[in-house]
Amino acid sequence: MLLPSESALKADPHAVAGSTDYDIVIVGSGISGAIIAKQAAEAGKRVLVLEAGTGVNRSLVGYDDLLTTFYSAATKDNQSPFPMNANAAIPRSPQLRKLQAGETDSSTYIVQSGPYVSDTTYTRIFGGTTMHWEAKTPRMLRSDFKSRTIYGQGLDWPLSFEEVEEDYRLAEREIGVSANVEDQTYLGQTFPGDYVFPMRGLPLSYLDQQVNNGIDGTSVDLYGRTYPLKVRPYPQGRNGIPNPAYDGGAGYRPIGAVDTHQVEEGGRCQGNTNCVPLCPVQARYHSGKTLAKAFQMNGKSGQPLVDLLSQAVASKVVIDPDSGKVSALEVKVYKDAASPEHETITVKGKVFVLAAGAIETARLMLSSGLRSTSGLVGRNLMDHAYLLNWALMPQICGAMRGTSSTGGIVDLRDGPFREKQAAFAIDIHNDGWGWATGAPTSDLLELVDDRNLYGADLRQGLIDRISRQLLLAVMLEVLPVESNRITVDPQFTDALGNMRPVLSFTVPEYTMRGAAYARQFSRTVFARLGAQDHTSYDPRDFGYVAYEGQGYAIRGGNHLAGTHIMGTMKTNSVVDKNQRSWDHENLYLVGGGSMPTIGTANVTLTLAAMCFRSGRDILKYLH
Amino acid sequence: MSNRIEIFLTLSAELTAFSRFDLLGTGLAEAYLGTLDRVVGDDITDTLLAAFVALPPPEDSTRSQALRATILGNELLGDVARSLTKLWYSGTWFELSYAWTQRFGPKPADATFVVSPDAYVEGLLWKAIGAHPAGAKAPGYGSWAYPPKIPAFPGSSTAKSEAISVHLQNAGIMS
Repeated sequence: MLLPSESALKADPHAVAGSTDYDIVIVGSGISGAIIAKQAAEAGKRVLVLEAGTGVNRSLVGYDDLLTTFYSAATKDNQSPFPMNANAAIPRSPQLRKLQAGETDSSTYIVQSGPYVSDTTYTRIFGGTTMHWEAKTPRMLRSDFKSRTIYGQGLDWPLSFEEVEEDYRLAEREIGVSANVEDQTYLGQTFPGDYVFPMRGLPLSYLDQQVNNGIDGTSVDLYGRTYPLKVRPYPQGRNGIPNPAYDGGAGYRPIGAVDTHQVEEGGRCQGNTNCVPLCPVQARYHSGKTLAKAFQMNGKSGQPLVDLLSQAVASKVVIDPDSGKVSALEVKVYKDAASPEHETITVKGKVFVLAAGAIETARLMLSSGLRSTSGLVGRNLMDHAYLLNWALMPQICGAMRGTSSTGGIVDLRDGPFREKQAAFAIDIHNDGWGWATGAPTSDLLELVDDRNLYGADLRQGLIDRISRQLLLAVMLEVLPVESNRITVDPQFTDALGNMRPVLSFTVPEYTMRGAAYARQFSRTVFARLGAQDHTSYDPRDFGYVAYEGQGYAIRGGNHLAGTHIMGTMKTNSVVDKNQRSWDHENLYLVGGGSMPTIGTANVTLTLAAMCFRSGRDILKYLH
Repeated sequence: MSNRIEIFLTLSAELTAFSRFDLLGTGLAEAYLGTLDRVVGDDITDTLLAAFVALPPPEDSTRSQALRATILGNELLGDVARSLTKLWYSGTWFELSYAWTQRFGPKPADATFVVSPDAYVEGLLWKAIGAHPAGAKAPGYGSWAYPPKIPAFPGSSTAKSEAISVHLQNAGIMS
C-alpha cells in the first residue's frame, strides 16, 4: 500500500488544539477507531485520531524496528516487540506474581486487586492490539446473542445475529479474512446465498492433520448429548489466496504492507509462526492498513481529512453540565517516551469516540468521574479464560512451523450444556508448548543443564522433545459479572499522572465448571491420540484457581470486553445498540467493552462489525 | 594460544553435533568466541580450549568419557561449555549458575542476553528440528501443511523422520 509522504508527518499539537473543524475526535488507533475514521472520511468528515503511543511504527522502518526489538529480547513474551514507554504503559505478563488473600499488587501497570491475577494484555501503540493479535476471526453464534433467553445464563444482546450479519461481512472484507464457507457451517452457522470469504482458507497444519487422524469420527457425550469431534480450520485475518468468486465474482485484492513506498511485504502469509507478537511481513491484518486508506482521503480543498496526533494520551472527558454533552477532551502530549515532560491540550469536536480498548476506555471514563446512570462503567469485565493442556504426540508432528494456529476443535462452542457450564473452543497451537512452558527454550535448557546431553544425543533429543509437541489451548466462555471490573484510584498513577486501571476479578464458577470438563476432555483426546500428557498446574502459578478439589492455571485470552456494555435502556447498560452513550448524546464508547457477552468467539471480528454500525449512526447524528 | 578460532569451532561442533560448515554458515563464530572472552574472560576461554585440545583423538573410544570428565564435569569449565552449547542453539548467552559465580567470582558481563538480532535468527535449534526461528526465515505459504524436513546428521535416528507419511488430501493445499 502506498501512503502519501506528507501523511507520514505528525500533526502539530498546537494546530490540533486550535482547530474547531473536527467532526469526530477518536481516542485510539486500533481497529475500532480505524474503521470509524475511514467510514467518516469516506463521507467527507474531518477526523482527529489520538494515539497514546509514539506512532513510529506507521512506517516500514518503524515497523521493522519492532521486529528487531523482538529478535533481541531475551524473554520473547507477547509484548516483547514493543519498547517500554512509561507514558503509555502496557501490561506485560512476565512481571506477574501470585497474590496473598486480600493483597493488592501495584508493581505492574494494571494494579492487580485480585483475587485472580490476570495476565491479560493489550498494546498501546499505533494500530493498538491489532499489532499483536493472532487474527483468528470466528463469528459469534446465533445463540451467543441471546444466552439469557436460551440458557438462562449471561445477558441477551440488544441486537440479534441477523442484525449484525451484514456488518460481519463488512468486517471480513476490511480485515481480509481467509476462510472457506464450507468449513464454517458447523453448529448451524449459515452464510447468505453465494457468500464466500475474501480469501480461501489457510490449509491445516501437519500437526492439525495428525490430531484429526486420531479423533475424526469419534465423539464425546455431555449431559446425554453426543458431540462429534473433528479438527476444523479457523477463519484468519491474514492474507491467503484471493477467492475469485468474492463479491459476486469481482474478486478481492489483498491489502499489502503499510509504508511510504512500495515494498515486497504485505503479501500472502509465509508461515513465520509469529502472528503473536508481530507478523514480520504484514501478511496479518493490523488497523494501520485501514488507517492508511483513511489518511489518503482528501477534502474539497485537497487537504487530508484524517489527522493523527501521536504521543497524545487522552486524560479527561469534559462534560458540559447544561447539555450533558462532551465539550472537549483533555489530552497530555509528551515529547519523548523517555521523559514524563508533557503539555496538556484541549481538543474539540462535534462527536467523540472512545476506542481505546475495554480497559483504557473504562479507565478514561472513570478517571473523568463518569460512572454513567447505570453505574456500570468498568463493570462486567470479561476476557476468555484459557486452560492449557500439553502432551507429546507419539510421532514427529513438525511443531514450531506454520502460522501460529490454523485449526482447532470447536464443536463444543454450543449445546444445551451451556445451561450448566461454559462452552469452549480449542486452538491447536503450531508453536508447540511455548505458551505453557516457554518451549522451545525451556526444552533446550532442560536437555543441556539437567539431562547433561551434548552432541548427537542433544540434537536428537531436541527433535524428539520439540517436534512432537501438541498444545490444546481451551478458550472458555466467561459471563458478565458486575463485581469483575476495572476501577481507578488516585493513589495509583502513571508517569503522566493519569490514573492506572485497577483490576478485580474472580473466575466465575460457570467457567470453572467448564474448565474442569475441558481438562477431562483434553485427557480423552490425548488418550485417543496415544499422546503423553505432560500437563501440570503449579499452585504457585499467578493464575492458579482451585475448583472442587482440583487446581487449574487459568490464563487470560486478551479478548477484553464488557466494561461499558450495550443494552436496552440507560439503567441496564452504558451504551445503546449503536454504542452511543445513554448519558452523553455526542459520545460513543466503542470496542469490546460494549459486548454484553463474548461466547467462544475471539472478540475482534465482532467488535469490528459493531463499529461499522456505530460509524453509520455517527454520520446520521452529524446530519 | 594460536588458531583459537579453529579450536573453538571444533569444540563447538563436538558440543552441538553441527558441522564446522554449519557453524561458519551462521556468520557468528567470531562473535560467539568474542562473547566467551568478554563474559568469562580470555583466561577461562583458553583453559576450556586447552582442555579440549588435550582430549584423546576423535577415533579413540575414550574421548567422550574424557570430554565428560575434563570439560562437562569440570567444576570450572562445565557450566561454561553448557552456556556455549546453549548459545549456539539459541543465540542467547544464559547467565552462569549461582554456584559457579559463588565459587569463581562474579563476571560483570554475565547476564542473560541475546548476542545480536541475527544471533536469534541463526539459532541452530530451529535447523535441528526442521523448523525456522519464529518471526524469521519463513518457509512459505502452506509449507506448514507438510511434514517437517528434519536434517539427518551423524548419530541421528533418521528412520523417524523418514517414516512420516504425507496426507496431502487433508492439507487442503492441493484443492
